[in-house]
Amino acid sequence: MRASTLLSEILAVLAKELTAELRSRVALNAIGLFGLTTLIAVAYQIGPYQIQEQDRPHLLSALLWIILFFAATSGLSRVFVKEEDAHTAKTLRLAARPLAVLGGKYLFNLLLLLALYALIVPLYCALMGYAVRGVGGLLLVLVAGAVALAATTTIVAAIIARASGSTTLFAILSVPLVLPLLVMLIQGTRAAAASSELAVVLPALQGVVSLGGAVMIVSVYLFPVVWHD
Amino acid sequence: MSGVSVEFQKVGKRFGNRTALAAVSGTLRPGQVLVVAGPNGAGKSTLLNILAGVLRPSRGEVVYRGSDGTVPRAHWFEHLGMAAPDMAVYEELTALENLRLFARLRGLNRSDADLAALLEELGLGSREHSRLVGTYSSGMKQRVKLAQAVLHAPAVLLLDEPSSNLDGAGHDAAAGLVARLRERAAIAVATNDPRELAWADARIDLAL
Repeated sequence: MRASTLLSEILAVLAKELTAELRSRVALNAIGLFGLTTLIAVAYQIGPYQIQEQDRPHLLSALLWIILFFAATSGLSRVFVKEEDAHTAKTLRLAARPLAVLGGKYLFNLLLLLALYALIVPLYCALMGYAVRGVGGLLLVLVAGAVALAATTTIVAAIIARASGSTTLFAILSVPLVLPLLVMLIQGTRAAAASSELAVVLPALQGVVSLGGAVMIVSVYLFPVVWHD
Repeated sequence: MSGVSVEFQKVGKRFGNRTALAAVSGTLRPGQVLVVAGPNGAGKSTLLNILAGVLRPSRGEVVYRGSDGTVPRAHWFEHLGMAAPDMAVYEELTALENLRLFARLRGLNRSDADLAALLEELGLGSREHSRLVGTYSSGMKQRVKLAQAVLHAPAVLLLDEPSSNLDGAGHDAAAGLVARLRERAAIAVATNDPRELAWADARIDLAL
């Protein structure tokens, strides 16, 4: 009889991920380097003054999510591939419930994304002169975006790890799932930048939460099959 | 005797046009060691992977039978311990951290003293427990792999070349572990090592 709960097993996987990452820093370096390089390149070429005033809300919110998404992709896609590469996947498969693995990996990806946001978003606002009127709305959009993006990238990473770990495949599988999500996140960010009213971000938030929730539910049923077969 | 037995009937595996394992039948019984021998490529590891549930057979079936009846495939892993050349423990963690992780994942409340005692039984002294596994020799890693396989006193133990990379003392430690566990566990060992062949209560010889 198992004395532990699913939650404690999820936290065990998360603690393992965090400890291993803090010692190797592979994912942190990848997303940090990619995020900062892209941000500096964009800021150097465009900066706060190269965009017409009427185009700023659209372009700045789109550029922000492009930087965040591609930086995240460089690190999050390895969360399962690294287990296959290190031959630890089978050891983990025989020791843990699939949902404990999925939950732990998901929370790890979520924390990585939030760390990326904490690094990039303030720098982006400063370097690009991006004035956000609704800071509370933007925070809601960012958190909802992180929750949904982490869910999407985690299940896609699990699928590609079983398909010999192609990062190209990661990009191809992610596009149909991530594209509608990114469109809604850009809309929500644009709305938050334009108004301090929380209500203006609600339509985008509803879409992001719905899509993220749907991906999570599908993942719960799909992951045990992907993980074991 | 309580425990779990593993019955396999005409189990075979094909990868494309290549037959990796011809139809094999047998039973792993609690208190017995079944040795699977045969030349390289005969399907020893394939058979153990099928028995572990990490590989689906192309033909035949495997049944885990416990005191409460047949065990569903999704729950096999709860009764199972395995060590194999294609399995590793986490190199970014220490030996003790690895065992703590696998104990938590298996729902065990094991003290560090218990975990350290297991490592010492396998010949890893206390000075080594807090070193990252990535800095270990291959023989020391093999000892940690064996420790994670038996951590939960599994009812079914599958060992694929358990003495690989081990020196004489390591082999003796592995043999001691098998001797301790064979009282209640059903054990299968895939090997060609004459010292491990001697552990057999039953034997399957696979051919190319």
